[in-house]
Amino acid sequence: MLRIAGVSYRYRDAPTPALHEVSLEIPGGGIFGLLGPNGAGKTTLISLLAGLLTATNGQISLHGQPLAAIRAANPRAIALVPQDYAFYPMLTVAENLRFFAGVLGLHGSELKTQCASAIAFARLEQVVSKRAEQLSGGLRRRLNLAIGLLGQPQLLLLDEPTVGVDPQSRHFLLDSIAALPAAGTTVIYTSHYMEEVEAICANVAIIDQGQVLAAGLLADLLRSPEPVLDITLEQAMPESMATRYGARLNGAQKYRLILPSTATLPRLLDELAAASCSVREINFGQHNLEQVFMRLTNRSLRD
Amino acid sequence: MSARLLALWLKETIALLRDRHVLLALFIMPTIFILVMTMALRDAFSPGVTIDVSYSVVDLDHSASSQALIKRLEKSASFHRLAGSGDLEIARNNILKGRQNLALVLPKEFGSRLLTPGGSDGKAAEPLTLLVDPALTPALQLAFRNQVMAALGAVRADELTVKAGKLFGLPTAPGAQVEKDWPDEIRSEAVRGDQNAKIPSSVQQNVPAWLIFAMFFVVIPVSSIFIIERQQGTLQRLRAMGLPFHLVLAGKLLPFFIVNQVQAVLMVLVGIYLVPLFGSEALELPSSLPLLFNWWAVSAAVSLAAVSWALLVASLAKTSEQATIVGGVGNILMGAIGGIMVPKFIMPASMQTLATLSPMAWGLEGFHSVMLRHGSFADILPGLAQLLAFAAASLLAAIWLNHRALAELS
Repeated sequence: MLRIAGVSYRYRDAPTPALHEVSLEIPGGGIFGLLGPNGAGKTTLISLLAGLLTATNGQISLHGQPLAAIRAANPRAIALVPQDYAFYPMLTVAENLRFFAGVLGLHGSELKTQCASAIAFARLEQVVSKRAEQLSGGLRRRLNLAIGLLGQPQLLLLDEPTVGVDPQSRHFLLDSIAALPAAGTTVIYTSHYMEEVEAICANVAIIDQGQVLAAGLLADLLRSPEPVLDITLEQAMPESMATRYGARLNGAQKYRLILPSTATLPRLLDELAAASCSVREINFGQHNLEQVFMRLTNRSLRD
Repeated sequence: MSARLLALWLKETIALLRDRHVLLALFIMPTIFILVMTMALRDAFSPGVTIDVSYSVVDLDHSASSQALIKRLEKSASFHRLAGSGDLEIARNNILKGRQNLALVLPKEFGSRLLTPGGSDGKAAEPLTLLVDPALTPALQLAFRNQVMAALGAVRADELTVKAGKLFGLPTAPGAQVEKDWPDEIRSEAVRGDQNAKIPSSVQQNVPAWLIFAMFFVVIPVSSIFIIERQQGTLQRLRAMGLPFHLVLAGKLLPFFIVNQVQAVLMVLVGIYLVPLFGSEALELPSSLPLLFNWWAVSAAVSLAAVSWALLVASLAKTSEQATIVGGVGNILMGAIGGIMVPKFIMPASMQTLATLSPMAWGLEGFHSVMLRHGSFADILPGLAQLLAFAAASLLAAIWLNHRALAELS
C-alpha cells in the first residue's frame, strides 16, 4: 500500500501550489490510474514519488515506511518511465539497456539476465542491435518501458506511456502493463486516454488544480448517483414531451433527462415509440469515465 | 571501479564514436590546419630564408674566382639559382619569357682583374652586369645586388688572403680550403620582454596552437550529448535512478580528457611525420623525461579547461544550435585573441595584452615555454594555475546552473 498523506508542493515563484493537501491510498499490486487535465499536477505528483522533487509538507510511505527511506535503501525499488523517450538515440537498444542497467549498479550475470528479461518483456528481440533513433514510435515506447523494468521495481511510475503509438503497439503495451501486478509490481499510470484507464486500472484518482476531485474503485466512480438518462433519437423529441420531462438538448437530437425514478423509464420509451421517435443510443445509470472526468473537471479548456 | 561510472564512460565513448562530424572536427580539422598553416606561414616565421625569385649566372670568365663567386651566392640561398648556360642571349630570352627574374653576367677577365682597381693598369674596370625583369620589385633587385656585393667582397677577401700568404711566405697546407667562413653572417633574434627568446618556427607555433584549438572543440560533442539528455528527460530518469549529478559530470570528464590526449598524440605525430612530407621542418619535442612530463602537464591542464568549459556551455545552452554557436564562436574568439590564428609575437603590444585574457594563450605560452625555452615546471606553473582555475570556475558554474535548473523544474 502506497499512502500519500496531505502532500503539498509549490514551485519556486509560482503563485499557487501545484499540489495542495493531496491524500491518496494506492493499493499494492495493482494498477492505479491517475487522471487530470494538463497542468493538473499529475507530473508533479509522479516527480514527488520518483524522488525528483521533495514535498513541501505531507508524507509518502510505501508499506508503512517513508518512501525516501525505501529509495535510500534500494534505489531500484521505484522506477520512473518518463513521458519522453528518455534514452540515447545514438545507442542501440541493447547498449541502452546495458547502460541503464549499469547505472542501476547491476553487473555481470545479473545485468545480462535483467537486460534479457526486459528485452523479452517488451518483445524487442528483433531490434536489439538497431539504434534507438531508427525505431518506430511504438518500439521506442516499448524500449522506454523496458528500461523502467530493469531493476525489477516494486513501484513503477508510468507517465503517459502510450502517447503517439499505433493501435497495435498500444494494445501490446496495455496488455504488458496489465500483466505487471501479477509479478508483484504496483503501477501508477497517468494517461489522457480514458478508455485505456478504464481497460486496465481497478482504482483511479482524478486530480485537477492540485487537488483530488475523486478517488476510489473505478466501478464506484462510474456508478451514477442520480437517475440520469442520456438518449439520442432519430428525430427531434416533440416539444411538449421535452418540456414535461425537463429534457436538456445536449447536441443534435441528443438529450439529457433526470428521471424521478427508474420506473419512469419504460413509460418514456413507450411515449417515444408512440411519437415515432426511434432511439439510436441510450445510457442510464452508468457513466463512462470521460463523462465523469468532464463533469468533475468542468469543460473549460485549460491551455 | 564503480560499475556506474564505467557504464557512463562507455556510453559517452560509443556516442562519440558514432558521430562522424564530431570526429572530423576533433581530429581531421586540426590536422588540416596544422599542414596548411605551417606551409602558409613558413616564411613569416623565418624572415628572408628563401625568396621566390630565380636567377642565373652567365659566366664569361670561367675562372676559379668566378666559380667561387657563384658558389658564394648559392650558399646564401635566399634567391633561387637556375643552372643556366653561359649564353647571354638564352638568359635574356628566359627573362623575357618570365622563366627567370635575374641574370648576373660575369665579364671576361673577372678573375684576373679581381684585385686590380679600375684604371691602375691603364684599362677601365669591366663592370658586372645584372639583367633584370622590370616587373621585379626594386626592393628585391636591391636585395640581390647587395647579396652579390657581399659575395664579391668575400671572394675578394679569400683571394687577398691567399695572395698575402704567398707574399709573406706563410705556409699553406696543400689542398686547404681557399674559402673562409668570414664572420659576416647575421642571425635574427626576437627581442621579447626581458629575455631574448627564439621565435617559434612555423611548425612549433602551429602544432600546439591548433592542438589547443581542437581540444576546445570538445564543446560540440559534450554539449550535443548533454542537451539530448536534458531535453529527452534522460537526466531526470538518471536522477530518479539515484545517480548523483557529480557522477554524471565525472562520466563526461574522463572520456573527453582521453579524447584530448589522443588529439595531443596525433597532432604531435602529424608535426613529426606528416609536416616534413609537405616540405617543412619536423616538429621537435624535448627529449628529456622531465620536459616531456611538463609538456604533458600543459596538455592535461588545457584539456581540463576545455572539457569544463564545454560542460559550462552545455549547461548554458538550451538547444544544440545555441551550443554550437556559443561554443564555436567562443572558441574562435579565444583563438583569435589568444594567438592561435595569428601568432602573438606578430601582434602589436596592446593586442598582446588582450591575448593574455584567453585561456588558449595560457596553454600556448605553456607549450612554447617547454618547447622553445625548455622551461622547468616552475616556469609553466603560473600558466597551469590559470588553466586549472579556469577549469574549476567553469565546472562550478556548470554545477550551479544545473542545480538552479532543477530547482525551477516544472
